[in-house]
Amino acid sequence: MSQTTPPAVPAGFGPLRIPGWAGFDPARPEGGGLRAHWRGFATAVRIGWATEANWTDPLLFFIYSVAKPVSAALILVVMLEVIGGASSREYRSFIVVGSALWAMVLSGVAGLAWSILEDRERYRMIKYVYVSPSIFLVVMTGRAVARVAVGAMGALITLAVGVVLLGVPFDPLRIDWLLLAIVTGLGLVAIVSIGVILGAIVMQTRQEAWSYPEAVAGALFLVSGAVFPLAVLPFAVQLVGLLTPLAWWIEGSRRALFPDGISSIGGPGSAWLELSGTVEPSNLVTVIALLVTGAAGTLAAGLAFRASERRAKDRGLLDQTTGS
Amino acid sequence: MSGQDAASSAAGRGPRPELFVGRAAASPQIAADWSRRRILLTDLRAVRGRAYPRINGLFREKSWVFFEILLPFLTTSAFVFVYRALQAPQEYIGFVVVGGAMTAFWLNVVWMMAAQLYWEKDQGNLELYFAAPMDLMSVLLGMALGGMVMSSSRAASVLVVASVVYGVTFEVDQWLLLIVVFGLTLSALYGLGMILASLFLMWGREAWHTTQLMVEPVYFVSGLNFPVARLGMLGALAVATIPLAVGLDAIRQLAFVGSDVALLPPLAEAGILVAMTAVFTLAARWSLRTLERRARIEGRLTMRWQ
Amino acid sequence: MTAPVPSVPAIETRDIRRVYKARPNNVTALDGIDLDVAAGEFFGLLGPNGAGKTTLIKILTTLLAPSSGSARVFGFDIERDTKKIRRIMNMVAGGEQSGYGILTVREQLWMFSQFYGMPGAEGWRRVDELIEAVGLAEQRLQRVNSLSTGQRQKMNFARGLLNDPWILFLDEPTLGLDVSAARAVRELVVQWQAAVPGRTLLLTTHYMAEADELCERIAIVDHGRILAIGAPAELKRRVQRESIFRLELDRLDGGPATLLRLPGVVSAVAATSDGRPDDERQTVAVNLVLADDAALASVVAALTPLGSHIVALAKSEPSLEDVFVELVGRGFEDEGEAPPPDDGLTPAVPQDAHEAGEPELEDVV
Repeated sequence: MSQTTPPAVPAGFGPLRIPGWAGFDPARPEGGGLRAHWRGFATAVRIGWATEANWTDPLLFFIYSVAKPVSAALILVVMLEVIGGASSREYRSFIVVGSALWAMVLSGVAGLAWSILEDRERYRMIKYVYVSPSIFLVVMTGRAVARVAVGAMGALITLAVGVVLLGVPFDPLRIDWLLLAIVTGLGLVAIVSIGVILGAIVMQTRQEAWSYPEAVAGALFLVSGAVFPLAVLPFAVQLVGLLTPLAWWIEGSRRALFPDGISSIGGPGSAWLELSGTVEPSNLVTVIALLVTGAAGTLAAGLAFRASERRAKDRGLLDQTTGS
Repeated sequence: MSGQDAASSAAGRGPRPELFVGRAAASPQIAADWSRRRILLTDLRAVRGRAYPRINGLFREKSWVFFEILLPFLTTSAFVFVYRALQAPQEYIGFVVVGGAMTAFWLNVVWMMAAQLYWEKDQGNLELYFAAPMDLMSVLLGMALGGMVMSSSRAASVLVVASVVYGVTFEVDQWLLLIVVFGLTLSALYGLGMILASLFLMWGREAWHTTQLMVEPVYFVSGLNFPVARLGMLGALAVATIPLAVGLDAIRQLAFVGSDVALLPPLAEAGILVAMTAVFTLAARWSLRTLERRARIEGRLTMRWQ
Repeated sequence: MTAPVPSVPAIETRDIRRVYKARPNNVTALDGIDLDVAAGEFFGLLGPNGAGKTTLIKILTTLLAPSSGSARVFGFDIERDTKKIRRIMNMVAGGEQSGYGILTVREQLWMFSQFYGMPGAEGWRRVDELIEAVGLAEQRLQRVNSLSTGQRQKMNFARGLLNDPWILFLDEPTLGLDVSAARAVRELVVQWQAAVPGRTLLLTTHYMAEADELCERIAIVDHGRILAIGAPAELKRRVQRESIFRLELDRLDGGPATLLRLPGVVSAVAATSDGRPDDERQTVAVNLVLADDAALASVVAALTPLGSHIVALAKSEPSLEDVFVELVGRGFEDEGEAPPPDDGLTPAVPQDAHEAGEPELEDVV
């Protein structure tokens, strides 16, 4: 802290004097470093939690953590029942788990994008957040974290409904907790990075962007192996899936929760089999693939957000409000 | 005069107050006394005016091609592949494609109708609508018509592309009935949207969250990707109350003649849609009047931050 | 073609009250407003934030119902004849961000012309005329979301004139505008009113100079009550009946006391330093208090025989804030008793986390 003698305060300006002020601190423009950024992130998480978390409101809890994710799973279960067949029970586990995990994807992908849209269109705070010393991306990501948590709760509830009501076979003693912890951590980073990319896009678009996260999540549904094995897809499209961190996260989560279940990456006729010669990837391969694709995705997200931020600043979009 | 105005003035484009023309009516009493014809024409023109930004703005945001056609096509494709993984009959692929196309309208109703007045309030437009002499129903109707045009382009694109890519074959015997049912489905859908627009405004931010309840849960009970008849009683309830459910069921029966999984005959479902349209439209009118009355008494519904 | 000025009053209110039930206490936004505005008048409501100006204008524009009392606009009741009033009035508020960003100025205005029932082609013609009239010709094809604040307000003003209203309500129309943009808007307002006799304007503002410059009569409002009504000069005379001048002369033999002998001069004292160092001052400054403006002539006539020449002459008038202080005992900015919320609406503490930013008001009392 500077030892500069504070200037004399003119008479009558007593209340304007900041208590304990010891003069201008030349180190202040340098910022508070990692600690300050962490504080900004934590504060944003608290704000996101305060505005989005639904624990005190049963209706909202029901909507986001029960109705939406369970309905999504039921759509697929009924599709399965409509066709029927001997393998339907095993496949039912496959789609219920995939659908449950997808609830987190949707929340994570939508989280940051909706935070940006809300701050821009509704609260009109985005310019004030932007000009603060905090890193804009860090703050917006913090805001989005609460939504991811809501999605996680939805995922757990859907799994519970699947086990209790839909006959999904589940043995807690067979869960690979280490694998689950690793893939969950890496997967969350991957999910948030997709959200960051989408956030970069919505910074440039107008109000209809509220529906974009769901559109993006729906498209990713195709290549993630969430509700059908990638082997069903054309070869070229399977390759896209293999490059997607979400596909590896879902594969890793399935392997951790249901070790003997159907693989979404491998299996007969899959691109994985053709490329690697093995029927399905091992746990280690799954983790490594998730790490590599997740890192690439995170890097791409950071670059995309930075480019979008620059473009938004250049075109004066940061405090625009749109509407149609 | 501002710098910009000075420059304009120098170029001969500054303010021209001589254009503040005089008025035609002899008194405010005469000016305020409109004939029924004029009132009707005003309401119709207001419909046209409100539809204008949606129709003309359709192609101004370049990202729409990606987000409103390509991505929904990919989402529909995901469900197609679910059925392929299950080795389902080809007609089920057709069901999914038709369902995928209809989601365009449903999402438009949810996002661009139900939540719209709420956003108009935030923008400050709602006050101006209330202060204008047209019926607010005209605004909702304009939003609905504009929304239909917006969504039709998306739905048609998804339908055509997905049908070509996945080899869906339509077998239509009654083209006229199919077109009528489609039209009735849209009118019922957007009638529901009109009610929701005023209800959501009254409910405030709770309503925003309720739009979320109207996506996946409604997809499920409406049989978006499977015949709603498979849901038994729940399906019957959906057909009786949700335009998307009954419309989809009827359209599928007419588009794929011979498919035997349906709840009611198409004509009966058309009748339900007619009833829904009438009920929803009347209910929308009632809820708008209630909204306006409450807005004037409570003072918060039209003002931002209230 | 011009119509005769209507004989029916433009605005009549009788004991208008508006109370909001809010947490923690009820808010009385209007507490018995009686107002008469004649047709063709430019009337101002002047008062600090929270005085009730916007609440009153919302009632008169049929957006808000009063808790009690009655009001008429050109003889039409604000509760029974809302549609009729909406056909003959329009409103422009300051700080408006309304409009659809993707539309051009021309399209935005045409859309509103449709809400007033104009045929399509006539609407385009009228829009083009008004765009020229307000000086937005170069921006006519520009998207609304790219307009500057001043341009946006001109567009709002043009929107307010689309239906050629008999009465135009202006709610702080220059709020947030820079000096030149605000001046441009004020000039447009004056020119619009002058173009056709009988056009009535009701302006709410907390800018003293604006009310002073534009309004023929002003009502000073505070805490939901009208404290005084009158022409600006009339209101100022409540505070200061004499005329005060600062007179700067090249010389004055005998000092200010010399002027005391002149008819109509109430007092003459040496003016305080204007900040320049004493050795730079070459003139003699005198603060003159005269019985009325007419006495100035005799003062000026008396100066020449005294060998004095006028270097500068300025009249000192009380401001409308002086009037307000005289009436209320505090300035616009002062905190006396707990100030009322902005226009009577108190944002309540949100009960639920997700309601943050959404104030709650319950039924009106």
